[in-house]
Amino acid sequence: MTVSSNKEAFLNTIASKLGRERKTHVQRPVIQDLIPDSYGQLTNDDLVEILKEQCFFIHTQVIESNPEILQRTLDDLIEANGGGIVMTSGDSRFEGYGLAFPEAFVWEEAAGREANIKRAESANTAIIFADCALAESGTVVVESRPDQGRSLHFLPAHYIAVIERQRLVLRSTQAAAAFNRRIQAGEPVGSSINFISGPSNSADIEMKLVVGVHGPLRATYVLI
Amino acid sequence: MSLQTDKRDFSERTLDGLGDSFMRNAVGSAQDSLKTRRLSAATTLGDWEQWRNVGQLIRQHTLQNLDYYLEQLADNVEKQGGHVYFAATKEEASSYIRDVVVRKQATKVVKSKSMVTEEIELNRVLIEAGCELIETDLGEYILQMDDWDPPSHIVAPALHKDRRQIQRVFSEKLGYTGDETPENLAGFARTVLRQKFLEAEVGITGCNFAIANLGAINLVTNEGNGDLTAAIPKTHIAVMGMERIVPTLEEMEVLDNLLCRSAVGQKLTSYITVMGPSAAGETDGPEEFHLVVVDNGRSDILGSEFNEALQCIRCGACLNVCPIYRHIGGHAYGSIYPGPIGAVITPLLGGYDDYKELPFASSLCGACTDVCPVKIPLHEQLIMHRQNIVQQRRTGAGDRLQMKAASRLLSSPALFGRSLRFAHSASRLMSKRGRIVRGPALIHGWIHARDLKQPVKQQDSFRAWMEKRKGGAEQ
Ligand code: SF4
Repeated sequence: MTVSSNKEAFLNTIASKLGRERKTHVQRPVIQDLIPDSYGQLTNDDLVEILKEQCFFIHTQVIESNPEILQRTLDDLIEANGGGIVMTSGDSRFEGYGLAFPEAFVWEEAAGREANIKRAESANTAIIFADCALAESGTVVVESRPDQGRSLHFLPAHYIAVIERQRLVLRSTQAAAAFNRRIQAGEPVGSSINFISGPSNSADIEMKLVVGVHGPLRATYVLI
Repeated sequence: MSLQTDKRDFSERTLDGLGDSFMRNAVGSAQDSLKTRRLSAATTLGDWEQWRNVGQLIRQHTLQNLDYYLEQLADNVEKQGGHVYFAATKEEASSYIRDVVVRKQATKVVKSKSMVTEEIELNRVLIEAGCELIETDLGEYILQMDDWDPPSHIVAPALHKDRRQIQRVFSEKLGYTGDETPENLAGFARTVLRQKFLEAEVGITGCNFAIANLGAINLVTNEGNGDLTAAIPKTHIAVMGMERIVPTLEEMEVLDNLLCRSAVGQKLTSYITVMGPSAAGETDGPEEFHLVVVDNGRSDILGSEFNEALQCIRCGACLNVCPIYRHIGGHAYGSIYPGPIGAVITPLLGGYDDYKELPFASSLCGACTDVCPVKIPLHEQLIMHRQNIVQQRRTGAGDRLQMKAASRLLSSPALFGRSLRFAHSASRLMSKRGRIVRGPALIHGWIHARDLKQPVKQQDSFRAWMEKRKGGAEQ
């Protein structure tokens, strides 16, 4: 049986179980207006406070910095993580903020799959710029791109995300709506969209929380 | 593992559960802490009931238009170079996946936690095909290392094991020499599994929700193993029950919030990822992406009186409030889906022949219905199952006779009142310290897993008390 004939039979079964012909058009219910707003109007400073409070609960350090001292902040953090190899994304903002690290790999298309994964695996610290951040859940949002692979966020032992304050929004609701607007407008989005809220963890052994199971052992957000 | 995890009688399985004091304590304290965490995470959303309404609306809308959204999903996955396979049966699903793995000449496969792959017996099929298959979720890995011990909770599969048991398994099977602290056990698993991710040619994941207008899947995890499973191997196969789909990221976001908060009391889990086939220029992620959409009995539920069971987002909250699950534990259900939702869907997917006892494993207190983030009327569905089981005369002839007699007795106030007069003396020989401890038939069935108080003496009864008062009940 070919895949497409499988599909037709499969979907026809569904339609017949629902007691109707196959649907060719559907009107999505509008849900945005139905979602309760429990926060009201918030300033950017409010969002920073909400983020900081939430990060306390998700074992994530928040460092307030600014573009002038960002290099020093990151250097200090790398040292606090025990030094070693750093791997950054190829985000143009590294150059824009004049950042440079000795002993650093950059995720790049030209290096190819094996090398990028190997570099990420050998790196002690990953540094990336958040595409946006969600205050309520302490989440950074990043898209995969040729200069920012998926495993960069998971393989290095320590994870540093730089968050520009103006990219802070309240919740996942705003982030999902923004992505959906892009998708509906036919704009490309990364093949992987990651919502990352702190370091990896597990409570699989006697429900005791253990931080750093497969992914990073420690996560730090640097606010600028 | 298949849907069925234990072929023994339900009564044998419950006795095992009732006798396992570690498991009962573990389940009890997990229930208590998860309940509290869920409540606080739900409260921060503001009007939780309204969120539940929206969750229910989304699930019902998607189910009503399932064919449309699945077609849209398939088109969008294929547009990006991915492959979609629609499997009507579990055999079709697992043999398609086996064929992909064989074609890729893969011998090392990593998997992240997925209930539907258990349902389609994928592990067995791939191991028989000669693969080294590794479960990478810490809980699932522990169970695999312990000779595929079945899971006992939807979200925390190894809940029934203590740290000493895990230490023993790791040392016997993997040469672990460390102590029994969860940190060291998890750290050891991290080192072992990291190597497996790097070596694997194929990664297999489940799918919390597929996003129709994007042609991608959504994984919700805390450990990051699902992301590594999809990011490192060159081939990614995602397996989804056909109902696990949303129209867009906006609906996914609502359901992920309901899921994370209901399952583990977090606003969002550490890793929520939306992923599909790698795009041009991206150097990791799957070069080849397959999405397997599984029916395996779900279409028979669609449009039936049990339709709402398909709304389930597998958060496990109904297990965390269930007094029956608390006492008998997950293994007693004999299914990969335990607890109230397990008692509803297992008979639907596996038939009454093997699972007719499960709908009776409920106190009908309705706690599961109240907690369900997508408003599935679980206890009402359990009652419908019971009605079907009785109507199909699947209860034993003896049971039917007893129920008939009980119904005659209970529907006649006069008869009931008269028999109460003798209940105390008649039960004397069967009772100890105010509790009935032995008895025939129905009584035996009842006291097997529950307490039954000995009826009070006639003069101490409520009826006698009422009769003494003016206007009391007459017989
Ligand atoms: S039935 Fe409801 S509460 Fe139970 S697992 Fe499914 S969604 Fe969660």
